[in-house]
Amino acid sequence: MIFLSRTLPLVVAFAFGMLGVVIYYIPHGNAQSLEREMALWVRIVFAFSYLLGLYSLLNLHWQRIRQRVAGWAYSLIAILSFAVMMVFVVYNDGLGPFAAQAEAGGYKWLFDNIHVPCASTMFSILAFFIASAAYRTFRARTPEAALLLIAAVIVMLGRVPIGRELADFFPLATDWLLNVPNLAAKRGILLGVSLGAIATSLRIIFGIERSYLGGGAE
Amino acid sequence: MRAKNWLSALVLAWPLASAAENAEQGIDPLLIDPGIGTLLAQPEPPIEVQAFDTPNDDGGSITLTWPRDPQISENALYQIAVADSPKGPFRVVAEVAATGNLMSEAPALFGHGADLKNHHYVNVEEFARAGGKTPLEDGKTYYFHIDVRSAGGAIRGKVIVNAESRGNFFNNSKVNNLVLCLVFSGLIMGYIGIARRRELKIRRIAGLEALDEALGRATEMGKPVLFIHGLRGMDAISTIAAVNILGRVARRTAEYDTALRVVAPDPVVMSVSQETVKASYVEAGRPDAFNPDHVFVASTEQFSYAAAVEGIMVRDRPAAHIMMGYFYAESLLLAETGATTGAIQIAGTDAFTQLPFFITTCDYTLLGEELYAASAYLSGEPRMLGSLKGQDAGKAILLAILVLGSLLVTSEWWPQLTHLFTPA
Amino acid sequence: MHKLLAIDRRIIFALVFISVAGPLLAGISLPITPTNEVKAAYAQFEKLDAGDIVLVSFAYGASTAPEMLPMSRAMLRHVFRRDLKVVAICLWPEAPGLAQQVLEEMAAEFDLEYGVDYAFMGYKPGTFSVILNMGQDFRSAFPQDQWGTDTGDLGLTRGLRSLRDFDLVLDLAAGDSIEFWWIPYGQEKYGFPFVAGCTAVMAPDLYPFLDSGQLGGLLGGLAGAAEYETLIDNRGSASMGMSAQSMAHLVIAVFVVIGNIAYFVARRTSSEQRS
Repeated sequence: MIFLSRTLPLVVAFAFGMLGVVIYYIPHGNAQSLEREMALWVRIVFAFSYLLGLYSLLNLHWQRIRQRVAGWAYSLIAILSFAVMMVFVVYNDGLGPFAAQAEAGGYKWLFDNIHVPCASTMFSILAFFIASAAYRTFRARTPEAALLLIAAVIVMLGRVPIGRELADFFPLATDWLLNVPNLAAKRGILLGVSLGAIATSLRIIFGIERSYLGGGAE
Repeated sequence: MRAKNWLSALVLAWPLASAAENAEQGIDPLLIDPGIGTLLAQPEPPIEVQAFDTPNDDGGSITLTWPRDPQISENALYQIAVADSPKGPFRVVAEVAATGNLMSEAPALFGHGADLKNHHYVNVEEFARAGGKTPLEDGKTYYFHIDVRSAGGAIRGKVIVNAESRGNFFNNSKVNNLVLCLVFSGLIMGYIGIARRRELKIRRIAGLEALDEALGRATEMGKPVLFIHGLRGMDAISTIAAVNILGRVARRTAEYDTALRVVAPDPVVMSVSQETVKASYVEAGRPDAFNPDHVFVASTEQFSYAAAVEGIMVRDRPAAHIMMGYFYAESLLLAETGATTGAIQIAGTDAFTQLPFFITTCDYTLLGEELYAASAYLSGEPRMLGSLKGQDAGKAILLAILVLGSLLVTSEWWPQLTHLFTPA
Repeated sequence: MHKLLAIDRRIIFALVFISVAGPLLAGISLPITPTNEVKAAYAQFEKLDAGDIVLVSFAYGASTAPEMLPMSRAMLRHVFRRDLKVVAICLWPEAPGLAQQVLEEMAAEFDLEYGVDYAFMGYKPGTFSVILNMGQDFRSAFPQDQWGTDTGDLGLTRGLRSLRDFDLVLDLAAGDSIEFWWIPYGQEKYGFPFVAGCTAVMAPDLYPFLDSGQLGGLLGGLAGAAEYETLIDNRGSASMGMSAQSMAHLVIAVFVVIGNIAYFVARRTSSEQRS
């Protein structure tokens, strides 16, 4: 069992990690074909992972309903919504589950008229939360915080037409803030993050980092 | 036009048939008649033509280069004709403007040099037959000549060159990338070796120190800890780092006998998290306390995920929210809702644009690479700490290169050195 | 002042709602000036010749549709106006419905013929691996279009072998597809001209790629879409939305200023009371 749960995954991580690195430098058709095959495997695994997610989601909500935990009615709605969508997907506007997806039908109607507005509403809540968070937390407690605060106000106004109406300074200053300090900070973070990614990748490839297999680094 | 051609025929005793006339007469425009007429005043086709397999590719391409003619009219065109036999028939497969396709425009193929702007190049990937164009076959010899076409007509190139294409085993334009990769890897592996022999110290990371405080508080309050994964899958380093932190958190919650809930937006992340939490509970001697249903996928869709997690925050009122991984616009929704519940919040992300939201709404935030360092920091394991030191040494080299590069570019001194770091 | 600092969140929410709804209902219109990154994106399409093929990747979901749909419309309108061909793919499971909606609108507006002027290949799971697949063999990644027709049977897609056959790639994204999928696994490997449209919050993250030339142009959020609408001289929903967005930004800026004034006054008052 140790072989299957530890040794084999480590060997697979090493082999495919090294293969990924080496293929990057080899343009030959055979290497590229191997990369294509590997990409195909990833896609197949990815598709199967949806089944895993589906099971987890349905199981979670089923347990909530079964145990009548607080808010179990929402879980019931989640399962019912899934069932209704599934029925329309299988029906596929009369074409059946094995035909290509129909251009119209109940699934599309539900998607356009229920899912899109619900999801858009969730996103739009962000505007309210940003306003509230900005009011409560954007405080010029230190000179650095004051600097950030001024920059934030300038960018907020400079990115919309009203900024230009107020003064030409806003779009010009916004452009400068985004292209100079923002870019410099982003590059700094990118460099650090990239090196961190290289170090983490090496730790994984050489089996030093094993906690992603479960059970800490050792 | 016809009179001029007649004159040329008299002078050169050379059969005439310009491409323009071919077109007028409905002849296949791809087919170049072996004898194309010319005028004495017209530009000459290039003589110093070179053909070779295109470097750094997977085959199916041949590159032709020839010197730039400073006398040539701007409106003239070079026509590249190909055949699979030196006798032809040759058919035009590419056209290059008299001022275009300079070798200096393709540093990935030809590198950098002052003379490159005095040469043209073209990559030929197709062979033309009567029925149409087909890709070049690797290992087969193809023959080329370059004609010049201008207002006065077309002149066939006298030089026929040949080459065969093949797939290459190394991309030379990535040498600098490989060198940097080897240097950084060497540094990291070297420091891992050093760490085995002597103790290394790293600076304190407040966000990670606070983890114990948060878990202790949850234990005192008898409330669960909520671990929230970012939106990216297991292919992201930030997710792997988050799983590493989860392993440590799970071990502590198992030891303290505190409930742990883990939400993931991705089934694979969920599965890995389940294994990690299970192993941590086993290590802590509490396998009975592990419940796989406490590690679950809340939703694979961004805002459904945010809504589901917010629901858990509001209904279950966990004592601590630990948000680790790569987040997008949902970061503020989660952190702001979490802040209203009064829970202690620790976030860690390498998502640059979301950092301000976490900093303003969370008690502690792990910034960028601090997230990656977390695993090494929490484990205190020498080899992991060694990799962190190697990372820092790599960063020092990058900083030195940045400063040097900025100085060189600004002063325009020794441009060849800056080209060493130019990506392909 | 302490009361002002501890203001009920619902009051803030109400003011934000009014600032957004007011200008939309009043139909206020403001002049829009395109920024350099949007002009660069526009120029990339202007460089193409009629008949060139553009690969459009839809990688956004329903939640970001209000922000992403206007830019999708504006850019595709420009594409079809220039007689370019479009092959559309989806790399997000939610995207097909939204992509279909835009393509149908464009087909009606420009009288497009399916399979000749545009093709819709639908969704394929696998994120970056789909791009790797397309780079090697387009047909193996998308053997059929969204409606089950073989890729080889559509005039537009028949001759497509790999990503190299596209004259430009446009990614419309609300997630990590620009930075983590298309640039490392597509643009960096195959070197095609690459333009992107994303949500406003993502845009600052992508500026380094504009500078490095890996990204030929960028539209960020509704503002980017409104600027593009200005460039193509077709004011649509994004331009209309800019008045609401302007007002919302102004309200938030005012909140920040008021919050800070209240904070400083309260701090001074408490320090005076202590002394």
